[in-house]
Amino acid sequence: MSAEATRPADPAGKKILMVMTTGPEDPDKTYAPFYTAALMAAMEIDTTMYFLMHAPELLRKGGAEAVPLKKGGNLKMFVDMALENGVKFLACAESCRDLCDIPPGDLIDGVKLVGSATLADLALDADSVLSF
Amino acid sequence: MILNGCEFPDDRAYYIERTQMTWVRVDGDRLLIGLTDPAQTRAGKILHVRIKPAGTARERGKPIATVESGKWAGPVMAPVTGTVVAANGDVEQDPGLLNTDPYGRGWIVAMTASDPAEVGTLLRGEAALARFKEILAKDNIRCMRCQS
Repeated sequence: MSAEATRPADPAGKKILMVMTTGPEDPDKTYAPFYTAALMAAMEIDTTMYFLMHAPELLRKGGAEAVPLKKGGNLKMFVDMALENGVKFLACAESCRDLCDIPPGDLIDGVKLVGSATLADLALDADSVLSF
Repeated sequence: MILNGCEFPDDRAYYIERTQMTWVRVDGDRLLIGLTDPAQTRAGKILHVRIKPAGTARERGKPIATVESGKWAGPVMAPVTGTVVAANGDVEQDPGLLNTDPYGRGWIVAMTASDPAEVGTLLRGEAALARFKEILAKDNIRCMRCQS
């Protein structure tokens, strides 16, 4: 069978929502979502990451730098890679205020604060929802 | 020419834009496109390559392939507006060719340009080297070639 015949359909133009609930309390679970989101965006998938519960801590200024990775380095390069590739970052305003105690000005550039109802809109609008 | 251990063949044009550092070589009526030495070094050992199929029309700056290494994942952008005419099946089967032979067997995509004059807007020679010199210094890149 030729490579053309086995190649999966081009996913460009599809929408994926990644719901991120893991924060810096479990560093091993933080890297793959950003990496995968970066790759999806590079594949021209409209990719949004929604951060709630303790996940917005990763978007606090200096937050990603404080998350060590097993192979060395820290999470920041993966956060930057996702943003560079065009992943949209949305943070739950309630989680930021009530759980993480993050004032809006303490989030990194590129993050939009939204309410909880936005999650419903995004989930219903997406072709697929992934949860981490 | 070699800078910081990175090779930049004289017979190529270069597309250097944001995170993109790709080479272009005119091959008859088509253009071969691949990753430069600093691009493959920055990515690390490349594990997967996915290439847009032949017939895909792309504007300059839109993805024609994606590359992932486990530490880096990103697009390979079209250096000119045109159409993909061939994907290199060898690199899809053996992505490590992008690391071991980036300017030879590691070519990724062949395209035809909608406007051949656009190829002339890509950087060559001293102009390309000056840009690479800035990037290598800023990102502290020293090239290495993985052995297969």
